Amino acid sequence: MDLQGIDAIVTLQSSVDQLASSKNEQVQKAEQNALDWWSLAAIAPAIIILLGFLFLFFYGVVQSLTDLKLSRPVVRFIGFTNYEVAIKTQDFWNSVRATMAYACSAVLAEAFFGLAIAKLFASGVFLARLMRPVILLPLVLPPMSVALMWTTMMDPQIGILNYLLSLVGIGRFAWISDASTAMFSLVLIDIWTYTPFFALIIFAGLQGINDEVREAARVNGARGWATFLHIELPLIAPYILIAAVFRLIESLNQFDIIFGTTQGGPGDSTSVLSVRAYITAFQNLAFGRGAALMVVNWMIVLLGTFAMVRLWRLVRQRVS
Amino acid sequence: MPRTPAALRGHSAHFVKTALICSTLLAGAAASFVQAKVEDINWRQFEGSSIVWAYDIHPYADAVAAQLPEFEKLTGIKVTPELYPDDAYWNKLTIQLSTKSASWDVVGTGIQPAWDLAPGQLLEPLDRYLNNPKLTSASYDYKDFFPALRDALTWQVDGEQIEAGRGQVWAIPHGFENIQLFYRKDILDKHGIKVPTTPPEMSAACEKLKSADPAITPLGVRGVRFWSSIHTAAISIAKSYGVHDFVVKDGKLETGLDSPESVAFHHDYVEMIKKCAAPSFVNDNWYQVVDGINSGRTAMAIDSNMFGFWNDVAGKPASGKIAFAPPLRAPNGKNFESNIWIWSLAMNAASQKKGAAWLFIQWATSKQVELKGAVAGKLVNSPRASTWSDKVWLDYATKPEFTNFVDTFKIVQDRAALAFTPRAGFAEAMNAWAVAMQKMVNGADVKATLTDLASEIRSSM
Repeated sequence: MDLQGIDAIVTLQSSVDQLASSKNEQVQKAEQNALDWWSLAAIAPAIIILLGFLFLFFYGVVQSLTDLKLSRPVVRFIGFTNYEVAIKTQDFWNSVRATMAYACSAVLAEAFFGLAIAKLFASGVFLARLMRPVILLPLVLPPMSVALMWTTMMDPQIGILNYLLSLVGIGRFAWISDASTAMFSLVLIDIWTYTPFFALIIFAGLQGINDEVREAARVNGARGWATFLHIELPLIAPYILIAAVFRLIESLNQFDIIFGTTQGGPGDSTSVLSVRAYITAFQNLAFGRGAALMVVNWMIVLLGTFAMVRLWRLVRQRVS
Repeated sequence: MPRTPAALRGHSAHFVKTALICSTLLAGAAASFVQAKVEDINWRQFEGSSIVWAYDIHPYADAVAAQLPEFEKLTGIKVTPELYPDDAYWNKLTIQLSTKSASWDVVGTGIQPAWDLAPGQLLEPLDRYLNNPKLTSASYDYKDFFPALRDALTWQVDGEQIEAGRGQVWAIPHGFENIQLFYRKDILDKHGIKVPTTPPEMSAACEKLKSADPAITPLGVRGVRFWSSIHTAAISIAKSYGVHDFVVKDGKLETGLDSPESVAFHHDYVEMIKKCAAPSFVNDNWYQVVDGINSGRTAMAIDSNMFGFWNDVAGKPASGKIAFAPPLRAPNGKNFESNIWIWSLAMNAASQKKGAAWLFIQWATSKQVELKGAVAGKLVNSPRASTWSDKVWLDYATKPEFTNFVDTFKIVQDRAALAFTPRAGFAEAMNAWAVAMQKMVNGADVKATLTDLASEIRSSM
């Protein structure tokens, strides 16, 4: 047997194979580098819409760098003056505080009540089955209608809430008419409206937990409360956090409920950034300053969302 | 041959018949001639157009809306009214005009908002329409509008600011208001309370009323954090204390809201609100004020005089129970002061149907529409002198159910004047004042709040 010849053939063959594979790689690379026009055409509408959104956002940012005012025929570029002027005022910091207080307290309370309602739904008792479709009602109402409805109900003189309180011997409550109770009242409206959102998402999370896990806990001697605290809660924590991300974004931007009830008052007690920005732009007609406040609000939303998403990832890693 | 009575009767009958036909024809011809003289413009020149007229939900709008079929029949122009609640309307007006949207052709405005809109070229100056004989009927008689109202709506735009008193016409008045104190006679009589004339007197009366009937709100006043709550009671009473929104210092415009007079006024006013107004004061707009006085939940109110009139109209629950008085004055002041508000019709500068829009403005502010609206009990304070000298209106307004409306109107109108300084930037400064008022009513220190308010206004000037 001419092994030398075989070696030569093998060597040649391997060289040919190498050449062929390198050619295939080149073809593959060329194919990869070639534009896939069909795919591009398919995603083009999404890209155009995204660019449209970005354009509007950056247009707002550009406006915030100008002295755009309704009575001013010529618009001047003034750099960061609108921001500098804003942060030097006490009203601005009051609005930042109000925005944070509103969003944080609403989201925390909604998460707590949402969890309680979800647990009730998961228990499968008759009342829970009855309540499941009803609880969605506040979510489907337009926020401005919710605001008007609660404004009437919270009227200190003729509102039904004070009437109901009077039946149990509680005296007149000022609700949205007093600076010391207005923020509490607004958070209450937010809780009423958006707790069902938390409840639904957490309920979905509870439904996703395998019964075997609960059974194993029971076999190991865990009682109801311990099962919930050490087994269920860690497993549904990512669900709670993802709901909290969505609600935090909305609460930091909340406008309809606040403007429809207090318009930011009494005084400046509920003047969150979105309401202050609107009033500055569309009532005081100072569009440049209003845009600057909107950009600040956007930055707060962005930071808050990043923090929540990071927390969500951490929790998810621990759970998995 | 002597005519028989029958023949005579027949002849006479023929004569009467002929005379009737002739006189009818003559009357028709004369009427046509008069009509031709009155209708000296072609009202159908924009036939087939369709325009949108935006306004506040307000009886003044109802008065015009009720007569719209006549306009549409006269011109062939279709008018779509878009009416919004007060706060929403002003916000929407700004958005519509500032975005140069052509969807509204005619808008309702007051002088003060128009000060902010005119420099941005968002309103169409109306002189060229008024002075165009092809577009404006000779019978329109622009000079029939009270001179003070015409002057108030005439100014010149100078860069970012306005110069009042001369220049272009920016809107046509179609109803105005002066600020008065109106009260439920039945309630005050029942509790033996005299009509107060100063804020301290009002505070005392409120305490007496509250102790007599805790369910009653003694005084209805607007309190929303918007300029509309300043332009009624607050500015009228403040002026009698010697407060000016702006003063000229060293040739420059300067806010007068931190002056000693302003501090004195706010001390009294805030005290009065705390003792008299509804607990929902900060959320109350004119709708709540009117509802309170109409239902009898509120004993007195300081606002536009026609709110009292509308509820005195026969058939309303409060008919004949509401009486009128001048607004409150400073305790040491000699005279009361009353601010005026002029509801006016203006044209959107971005409108694509300006000719049709002008015909509508002209018709809606004409003598006949004003008079008809007034006698319907809606367009109460007509801006036309001819309405106020018309016997039909005067007979109507002096009916017993309107108590002392006409007499008080005459007394107040002598001192009624625009209490604000004409300037662009009105909304920003007055909104800030409304917010400061809420803070003071909620317990903030009066002097410190006014100092902050003044510095806020200065920084925006």
